Amino acid sequence: MFDAVLEQIINGTMMGSIYVLVGLGLVLIYGVMHVLNFAHGMMFMLGGYLAYSFFAHVTGDYGSAVLLSMLSLVVFGAVLERLIFKPLRGNLRNQVIASLALVLLIQNSVIAIWGPSGIQFKLSTAEILIPIGAVRFSLQHILVIVVTFACMGVLFVFLKYTKFGTALRATSQNNEAALVVGINTQRMYWVSFAIGSALAALGGALIGPLFLVFPQMGDLPLVKALAGILLGGMGSIPGAVIGGLLIGITEALSTLVIATDYRDAVTFVVIILILLFRPQGLFGVRVRGEA
Amino acid sequence: MNRMYQDRRGLAGTLVLGGLLFLIPTVLVDQPYLLHISILICIYAIPAVGLNLMLGYTGLVSLGHMAFAGIGAYVAAILMVDAGWSFWFAMPVAVVSAGVAGALIGIPALRLRSHHFIIVTLAFGMILFLVMNNWDEVTRGAEGFPGVPRPDPLPFGGPDGINFLTLENFYYLSLAFTVAVFVLQWALVRSDFGRSLEAIKQDETLASFKGVNTMAYKVAVFAIGSGVAGLGGVLKVSFLRVAAPLSFELLESINIVLIVVVGGAGFLAGPLLGAIIFVGLPEYLRIAKELRLVIFGAVLLIITLFAPKGLAGMPVMLRTRLQRWRNAAV
Repeated sequence: MFDAVLEQIINGTMMGSIYVLVGLGLVLIYGVMHVLNFAHGMMFMLGGYLAYSFFAHVTGDYGSAVLLSMLSLVVFGAVLERLIFKPLRGNLRNQVIASLALVLLIQNSVIAIWGPSGIQFKLSTAEILIPIGAVRFSLQHILVIVVTFACMGVLFVFLKYTKFGTALRATSQNNEAALVVGINTQRMYWVSFAIGSALAALGGALIGPLFLVFPQMGDLPLVKALAGILLGGMGSIPGAVIGGLLIGITEALSTLVIATDYRDAVTFVVIILILLFRPQGLFGVRVRGEA
Repeated sequence: MNRMYQDRRGLAGTLVLGGLLFLIPTVLVDQPYLLHISILICIYAIPAVGLNLMLGYTGLVSLGHMAFAGIGAYVAAILMVDAGWSFWFAMPVAVVSAGVAGALIGIPALRLRSHHFIIVTLAFGMILFLVMNNWDEVTRGAEGFPGVPRPDPLPFGGPDGINFLTLENFYYLSLAFTVAVFVLQWALVRSDFGRSLEAIKQDETLASFKGVNTMAYKVAVFAIGSGVAGLGGVLKVSFLRVAAPLSFELLESINIVLIVVVGGAGFLAGPLLGAIIFVGLPEYLRIAKELRLVIFGAVLLIITLFAPKGLAGMPVMLRTRLQRWRNAAV
């Protein structure tokens, strides 16, 4: 029993880390732009595909492939913000709808390019097993957790101690006041979009070797990450981290009790319960106009 | 006054379009492919009307709309296959079930606004999908519910009655349902009920100060919209002869939102135009399935960026632009 629980906790922390990577981007974008980007799962999926392509056809080295994939998504995210979200600023409904149209556009473009079936992303780190107690995990599991925590650290330092990060936080707290004190808020918009997309891409690139790389791989992580940031409180960055990890661990542990078919239902029930009973989330960031 | 005028013209346009559609089988004799497409257009237009009432006229974006179509579809399938009911009795029960489900889910969900509402509809939609996909004993699981019959023959009009086994007759049936749903939309929108919805869309807080019981109206429109979606679901499974969970998943719900927006949210003819574009354009372009959706996605982005009122809103938009341009010239 203990081993089963330990196994699920580590599994959950790994999946939770992925949700955190997706959730951090969502929160950054939501905080600054007040728009939920439903196409964020597509960035995750593109990250997986690009990392695979760079790995298989260009560099042959996992680390540089992941970095190149993140870099591509930085550019892609920034371009999307300029081209699509900027003209729609101020119209929440159309921004949400544009993000849904992007889901259709990007997902089907990927199917047209790489085909509808999953691609195996073979990597030695996914095959090396490391014993923890009585259970064994692949090196990739550990890598996902370590890289995510390192990323969180970097992001925290960036937001807290650099001038740019401070400006980003200021914009997210009060857009107009930020403008008044001389922050180029337009730049903050695309920068948050670019960083968010890169974090999602990192998530996709990290999970690819463990499962398959396939066109729908971003759909569930997006919903789970959404649940995570709702749990933590929309707009709260520490909330996104704790919320994402909690969702990952809860759903992993739930498989010990209920059928795996309904594992995903746990997340949705969590979403509904939070929204109905504590819409501001655990960390109590209440946003005007919501809830 | 102006609004009445626009309403009437919208209705007239919709009726003319509907009348033309009635002629399709007589003009296109022996064109089963085109009839098939036309039936699919009806099957998408019906739930789109339901969502138009919510999204277009009340401002409620739901990402779980097709799950309610799924409730209608599965209730009808279970009643017809397992209980041996006739289509004509199963259909109204299915529609009411979808409506009741809409009300039950709407009561808690509609307390939320904006993003939170969107997310909660998404979550409910996903749960309903998981149930359809996994509750093998009742819904037959992921492979779908096979053997759903076509509607039983009507006991009049000819020696054997009117049967719906031919494509042509099924087309007339779907068209009749579609017209009925559009008339319902028209009647609702021009009534006091519709005006209250409009008030909620423009400013919910103000509407409630003015004495509109916003919660009751929102629940009512959510229930009606879900019931209409349920009708679309019943028609879909009766046409395809199988109820498949994938017909009612998140992606289909997103498609319906996009259909309503492309056609023109808040316009009577919007859902029909959107469904024609969604089903017809890709068929017309005749290319690989993925590329069709790529093109549809691109068309959609262009419409959201340059014609946010959708196709039905284009004449109005162009007229205002022209007027503004004229005024500027003077």
